[in-house]
Amino acid sequence: MKKFDYLKPTTLDEVLSLLDQYGKKAALIAGGTDIVVMIKQKTMSPDVLISLQGIPGIDQIQYDGTLRIGPMVTHRAIEKSEMIRKEFSALSDAVDVLGSIQIRNVATIGGNICSAAPSADAVVPLLALGAHLKIRGPKSERRISIDQFFTGPGETVLAEGEILTEIEIPKPLVNTGSAYWKHQRRQALDLPILGVSVLLSLSKASVTCSDLLCTTSPISVVLHSLEEDELECKEIRIALGVAAPVPMRAKKAESLLRGKKISDELLEAVALTAAEEAQPRDSIRGEAWYRRDMIKVLVKRMAMKCMERVLRPEETVFPVRLW
Amino acid sequence: MDEFINIGKRIPKMDAEQKATGSAIYIHDLKIPGMLYGKILYSSHPHAKILSIDTSKAERLPGVKAVLTGYQIPPIKFGFYKDNVPLKANKVCSLRDEIAAVAAIDPEIAEEALDLVKVEYEILPAVFDPEEAMKEGAPLIHEEHVGGKEKKPTNVLNLPWRLISGDVEEARKNSVCVAEDRFKVTWVAHCCLGTSGCVAQFDQKNNLTMYSITQIPSLAQRDYTDALAVMGLKDKKVRVIKTTIAGGFGSKLDTYAFEYIAILLAHKTRKPVKFLFTREEEFFATSPRQPAIIDIAQGCTKDGRLTFRDIRMTLDNGAYTSWGATTPSVMMMPISSLYKVPNVRYVARCVYTNNTYSQAMRGYGTPQATFAIDSQIDILAEMAGIDPLDFRLRNANTPGEVTPQNFKINTCGLKECIDAVAQKLDWRQNRGRKDGRGVGMASMIHVGGGARVYKSDGCGTIIKIDDFGTVNVITGATDMGQGSDTVIGQIVAEELGVRVEDVVVTHTDTDICPWDVGAHASRTTFVAGNSAIGAAKKVKQQLLEVAAHSMGESPENLDIRDRTIFSKKDPEKKSPLGKILRAAHYAAGGSMVMAEHFYDPSNENLDREFKGNLSVTYAYGTHGVEVEVDKETGQVKILKYIAAHDVGRAINPMLLEGQVYGGATMGIGYALTEKLVLQNGRVVNPNFLDYKLLTAKDVPNIETLVIETNDPFGPFGAKGIGEPGSVPTAPAIANAIYDAVGVRIKDLPITPEKILAGLKQKGK
Amino acid sequence: MKRTISFTLNGDPVQVEIEPHLTLLQLLRDKLELTGTKEGCSMGECGACTVLLDGKTINSCIFPAMEIEGKSVTTIEGLADAQGSLHPIQKAFIDYGAIQCGFCTPGMVLSAKAFLDENPKPTEEEIRNGIAGNLCRCTGYIQIVQAIKAASGQ
Repeated sequence: MKKFDYLKPTTLDEVLSLLDQYGKKAALIAGGTDIVVMIKQKTMSPDVLISLQGIPGIDQIQYDGTLRIGPMVTHRAIEKSEMIRKEFSALSDAVDVLGSIQIRNVATIGGNICSAAPSADAVVPLLALGAHLKIRGPKSERRISIDQFFTGPGETVLAEGEILTEIEIPKPLVNTGSAYWKHQRRQALDLPILGVSVLLSLSKASVTCSDLLCTTSPISVVLHSLEEDELECKEIRIALGVAAPVPMRAKKAESLLRGKKISDELLEAVALTAAEEAQPRDSIRGEAWYRRDMIKVLVKRMAMKCMERVLRPEETVFPVRLW
Repeated sequence: MDEFINIGKRIPKMDAEQKATGSAIYIHDLKIPGMLYGKILYSSHPHAKILSIDTSKAERLPGVKAVLTGYQIPPIKFGFYKDNVPLKANKVCSLRDEIAAVAAIDPEIAEEALDLVKVEYEILPAVFDPEEAMKEGAPLIHEEHVGGKEKKPTNVLNLPWRLISGDVEEARKNSVCVAEDRFKVTWVAHCCLGTSGCVAQFDQKNNLTMYSITQIPSLAQRDYTDALAVMGLKDKKVRVIKTTIAGGFGSKLDTYAFEYIAILLAHKTRKPVKFLFTREEEFFATSPRQPAIIDIAQGCTKDGRLTFRDIRMTLDNGAYTSWGATTPSVMMMPISSLYKVPNVRYVARCVYTNNTYSQAMRGYGTPQATFAIDSQIDILAEMAGIDPLDFRLRNANTPGEVTPQNFKINTCGLKECIDAVAQKLDWRQNRGRKDGRGVGMASMIHVGGGARVYKSDGCGTIIKIDDFGTVNVITGATDMGQGSDTVIGQIVAEELGVRVEDVVVTHTDTDICPWDVGAHASRTTFVAGNSAIGAAKKVKQQLLEVAAHSMGESPENLDIRDRTIFSKKDPEKKSPLGKILRAAHYAAGGSMVMAEHFYDPSNENLDREFKGNLSVTYAYGTHGVEVEVDKETGQVKILKYIAAHDVGRAINPMLLEGQVYGGATMGIGYALTEKLVLQNGRVVNPNFLDYKLLTAKDVPNIETLVIETNDPFGPFGAKGIGEPGSVPTAPAIANAIYDAVGVRIKDLPITPEKILAGLKQKGK
Repeated sequence: MKRTISFTLNGDPVQVEIEPHLTLLQLLRDKLELTGTKEGCSMGECGACTVLLDGKTINSCIFPAMEIEGKSVTTIEGLADAQGSLHPIQKAFIDYGAIQCGFCTPGMVLSAKAFLDENPKPTEEEIRNGIAGNLCRCTGYIQIVQAIKAASGQ
C-alpha cells in the first residue's frame, strides 16, 4: 500500500486550513472503510490523510422534531437509535443490513454520503426522507437538498476545501411510514443489486379492516378491501439506488400518487412509472432488465410496508414478510 | 455397557485449543531469519507472444535480491500433462501466466519491483469457449500440441476418457421414456480463508526444505525432487514440513508454479524465500473447480427402471493442464454407479482455451456430474408419471451389487438415506403443489474406502509408546482442518486400550512421517485409520508379551482396556499400563514398544476401459430440500435441509457432522450463489464482495442424518465423509425449485434472474 | 516520518513508533508479532482480522493504526485469563466442533464475545446476525452457532 502521512486536527477550522494547505494531495478520512480500501486498490493515492475522528460537534444525533445527524455518526450508532427506528424507519432498515457489524462500528454516514457510490445504502433512505446537507467551505456555508448533491458515480458537488457538517432530516407529516429494501444476493457483507426506499404519508392512522395487513394475502387483495376507507396519500417519496448513475428520486411516479386516493391500480401505475424513470444498467452485480422488474415489485412492496407501519405499528415485523 | 470408550464419541479436535487461542502457526505466520519475500508478475494479455522482458530497472531497486524470468530458468515442466512451466518465456496463454518473479527484503519492495519490469507482447487472437476452441481455425493455445488419428495441431487434449458398458443404442430403442438435456456448470473457487503460500529454503549442501500447505506431502516431495533434478541437483534431499493448513478442499492437491518459483529464487539468493498470495491472486492465480458442458440422455421402462445413461461432456481445460482434466475419470463413478443403470456410455473431451485452468475440488467432478444426472432423474420420473421418490427407490443401489464400472458394492445405505430424507421432508404431503413451496432430493455415490488412483493407495503409521504411557502416532496422513488427527487418535486409543488424551498424532514432516499418497478421495479415515489399527495391533501384541512376563500369564489371556492390562479369565488381576512400560524399558536388555504398519487397501486400479473396483467400499447419501420461491423476485429460501449419509460408522459424530455441514454449505453456494466470473479470460470478481460466499445469515439449518452400515473393511466400520456432503446439493435444490414453481434450471448457479426469466417463459 | 502512539493492548499499556500509514493489522502482526489475528482478504470483506477496539469489533486490516491512540485493543491472545484459562467462548468452540481449519476462529471468537457482551441471551437468529461479518468456509457456521449458544448458557 502506498505510504501516506496521517494528520489528526482537533477543530473544524484546522481541518479546513489543512485542506487548503495540501489541496489535491490530501484526502479526508472518516471511518476509513472506503478510503483505506481505495488506497489499497490504487484508485486513490493521497500523500496525506486528514482524520475527522477528533473533531468535536460532528458526531452527534440530535432530535427536536428535526433530526440532525453529524457526519461522523457511525452506522452502528444509527442502528441502535430507537428514536430513528420509530420515526425514520427507512434509515434504520438501511443500516441494519449495511456491510457487517465490524464495518458499521467504524463506517460513518458522512463517509457513505461523500463516497457517493450509486449503491450507497444510507443515501437512498435519506433521499426518501427528504434530507438536506449542510456544507462548510473555507469562506462560506451552504445547505442543499440531498437530491442535488450527487453528480455521478463517486462524484458530488463538494468543491475542493469543502466538508459536510450536518445531515438534516425534516419532521415527517403525521401518519407517515418509511421503509427501505436492499435487494441483495446474500444477507450480509453485500452490495445491493437494487435499493428501494419509500416514504408515504396517509390521511389517517386507522382503517376498518387492518387485520388484513397481518395475513399473507396478495397486495391487490388487501388494497381492494381497504378501498372503502378511502385512504389518501398526503405525501410520497420514492428513492432508488443502483438504478441510475446516482441515487435518484422517481419524481414522475410520485406525482401520480401525491394527493390521490390509494388504490391497487394506482400503486401499480406508480411502480411501473418508477421503473420506467430509472436508468438501470448491466453490470456484473446485476442485469438492467432484472433491476427494472425489481423496481416494479419492490416499490409496491415498500409502499405497503409504509402503510403497515402507519396502520399497525405495534405488529410490524420487518423484514420477514414482504407481501 | 458402553461398547467403546473412544469410538463414536464427540471428542474435540486435538489442535482446537491451539487454534482457539491464536497460537497455531499457519504459513502466513512463519518467519525465518533472513527470509526474503517473493512476488510474481502476471501476464497482461490472455494470449500473446512475449517479445521481450526487461528486468534491469527492477533488479536495481534497493532491497531487491533477485529477479527471474523464463529465459533464465531450467526447463522444469509440471502439471498432469507436463505442459506448464514456472515462468513463461515464449508466449502467454492466459492472464494468470507467470512472467517474472522477484525476491526482495519486504513484500512492498517486491511489489514495486514488479511495476518496473517491462514486457513487450505481440497480441494473439484468443478463444474463451471450449466449443469454439474445438473448431477448425480456432487459435491454437499450444501450437506444438497435436492429437487425433491424423496427429494434427489441435486444442483437444489426448486424453482417453471413454466408458462403455452394455449397449446404449439398443437400450435407448427399448426405452419407453427418454430424457435428453444439456446442463452447464461453471468455475467456483475453493475460498480457503487463508491464502496460498510456501517458504523454500536450501541448506549449505543444497538440500531443500519446503514449508508447505500441501495435502499430499509425499507426492509433493517427489515433485520438488524432480524439479531439483532438472536444476542439476539430482541427488539432493527434499524435506516437506507442513504448517497448520488454513483449508484445503482439494486446492492443495497440486504443486503450483509459485512453489517452483520459490525454489528457484531460494536457490539463486541462498536465502529462504516466502510466497504469500493476496486474496486477489488467490482468486485468479489458483485453480478453481472444473467447469463442464454436459449433454446427457437417460431412459427408463414403463415402470420406471433406468435403461441407459448416455453422456457427452466438453470440459474447458484452460491454458494448462492440472487435475481438472482428470475429473472425468472420477465422474465415471456416479455416471456408472449412481442408481442401477445397466447400459452406460460416457465420452469426455478436454479442450485448451485461454481461460484459467482447473484442479481438484471437493467431490472432484462428482458434484458436476451428479447435478446433471440427478436433475434429469426428476425429469425422467415426470415423463414416466412416477413420483421421483419412488423412482429413486426403484433404482437404488443395493449391497452386493457389481456396477457397470465393476465396482463391488459391499455395504450400501442408499435406500435408508432416501427413506430417511423423505420422511423428514414429509414428502408425500409436501410434494407437487407448485404453489411456491416445493421439495426435492438427490443422491450421491463416492469412494469410501480409498481410491487407487496411483499405483499405491497406501498409508504408513509408526506408533511408539513412552514410559508414561503417551502414545505417539506418526502418520503419513494429512490433517487440513477436517480432524483426521483426532479420528486417528481415537482409533488408536480404542485399539490399544487407552484414551484419546494419551495419544499425540504427528503428521507434519516427511523426514519423520511414513509415506501416504495424500488427503484426497475422502480416504483418510479409512486408509490412515486402518493403517493405524495395524500398527496399534502390533504394539498391543508387544505390550501383552511384556506384560505376560511380569504378570505371569500368557499373552492370549491378557487384554487392555482403559489404560489397564488385565487377565481375561480373572479381571481383578491387572496392572496399570505405565508400570508395564517402564518394566519393559528399564530392564537389562530392555526394549522399546514401537511398531509400524503400511496399509494399502485391496482395491484395484481402473483398467484401460476404466473398469475395476476403485475403492474397497463406497459411500452413499441423499440430500433433501424444502424451498420457498418468491415468484415475483425469483429468490429462493431454503426452509429445510436434510443430509443423510451412509458413513459406515461415525468414529467422531461431532467432526463428521462438521464435514457434512461444511460440505453441504459449499454445495448450497455452488447451487445458488457462487460463480467465478471470467470475461475474455479475466476474473472480474476476484474478491469476497463479488464472489458470493454464504454468510452465517444465509446458511439454513442443516440436519444431518447418520446412517451406519458398519462396513466390514472400514476401521471400526467407518467409510469416508470428507467429500460426500458437497456432492448432491445442486440437483436436490434444483429439483425442489422445480417442485415449487415448475421452472427447471440447468445451469449453475441458480440465480433469481434465471428463475424469474423461467417463470416469465412459462407464463407465455 | 514515524509517529509514536500509546494504547492499551490486551490490558497492558503499550507505546510504539509506527509509520503513519500502517493498518492496525500490520501493527499487530508485523511489528508486535501477535500473529493470532489473521489476514483473510485485506479489504474488510471477510472478518478474519477482527479485533476489539474499546470492546467493539472492527476489521483491523482497514483500520488506521494511528486511530488507536488512547484506546483499548483486544486480540485473541488477550482472551484467556492471566493464568491461561480459556474464555468460556473459546471452551465452547472447542467442545462443539466449531473449529476446523481454525483460520476464521480468532475473528469469530472475538465477534462472538463482543456480541454476547451486548446481548447475553441471544436467539439463534441474533447469533447469526452477530457473526454475519465473519466468513467461514469449513464449518457451515452451524457448530459455531451451537457453540455461541452454549457459551451464553442457553
